[in-house]
Amino acid sequence: MSVQELMQQGLTQGLTLGQAMGWMQLLLSFAIAQQSLEHLARGDRMIFVPRLGLCLLMALGVGGAWPLWGLWVISLAMLWRYQGPYNGGSDKMTMLILSCLSLAHLAPTPFWQEMALSYLAVQLVLSYFVSGWVKVVNPEWQRGEALRDVFRFSAYPVSEGLRELADRPRFLFVMGWAVILFELVFPLALLDPVALKLALLCAAGFHFSNACFFGLNRFFWIWLCAYPALIWFQDRIF
Amino acid sequence: MLRLLSLFLPTVIPSWRFFKTVAPSPRIEYRLIAQGSAGAWREDRPRPAHLGMGRILRRMLWNPDWNEQLYLVSCSERLIEAPSQHSVDEINLRVAQALPVGAAAQALQFRLVFLSREGEEIVKLVEYESKPVPLAPLQGRRV
Repeated sequence: MSVQELMQQGLTQGLTLGQAMGWMQLLLSFAIAQQSLEHLARGDRMIFVPRLGLCLLMALGVGGAWPLWGLWVISLAMLWRYQGPYNGGSDKMTMLILSCLSLAHLAPTPFWQEMALSYLAVQLVLSYFVSGWVKVVNPEWQRGEALRDVFRFSAYPVSEGLRELADRPRFLFVMGWAVILFELVFPLALLDPVALKLALLCAAGFHFSNACFFGLNRFFWIWLCAYPALIWFQDRIF
Repeated sequence: MLRLLSLFLPTVIPSWRFFKTVAPSPRIEYRLIAQGSAGAWREDRPRPAHLGMGRILRRMLWNPDWNEQLYLVSCSERLIEAPSQHSVDEINLRVAQALPVGAAAQALQFRLVFLSREGEEIVKLVEYESKPVPLAPLQGRRV
């Protein structure tokens, strides 16, 4: 089979429910292990050593759903320890994926398994669409001022040098609108399997640039973990 | 139990309103106090002037310092929206642990400065000033 045929097959093929859950658990093992190692550099061994161990078990497929349920309990303990998410949206997405996968494993019938994964898929679509919607109705985003402010004075740019981008208003205006439009049209990608894969590639690129500009590396890894749910959902519904 | 539920529910019913508005942005400043005399306010963990592509790519996999800094931004925002001792303790602890051990200072104090834009001007507003706390016990503690 040629590379071109392989690529075409990858772009058009969907996933079964079992495959999607398997991929998500594997990706999640890596993403949570990465988060845990960063935390261990700071302390909190009581939480993050067991968390790392459970990631290893889940990656190896040992213990059925127990490592997943264990990770869910630890994520709840983390919410208590930090009195909210430690890393904002990335911790929320971690907990959301763990909750949906945990429920899928607890589900008494395939129907409820599908419901749990569908909920995650819908939330993933909303994570882009709502984010685009709140920007497009805001005059500051429409004028390109908001993205300038992000670079000008927000806490996110990873170096002072990046603040100079605030002096390129036309560039930021175009980039701001590109992000808004991409987020708003993202749900339309569900209509076609190839369009969805391409949209997910663009979305991964968007998270990668956020990681480079704003240091949001955990967002990149954890959003990737939810993508198999959407690939399954698209194949199942459309 | 209710508190735990209030922390858990937004994770499974998220709002996803990323960057809805660019709100005033907090910076933590600290000063050391030795023998009753307070030093100058300094910014906690100032950003580097530039970051090379190699370091940016490494940070995709290993970024504990920056992620802690983002957590401190969350603690600062929470301290203003819903003041709690937890936020004060977390900021004190993590600021103290970023300082070199063995400093002559006896106490640490921090304040929250919020940056915002008024027209074309960036304005700074001090919105919170903590009570000084002994430094040595904080530096001896694990996070």
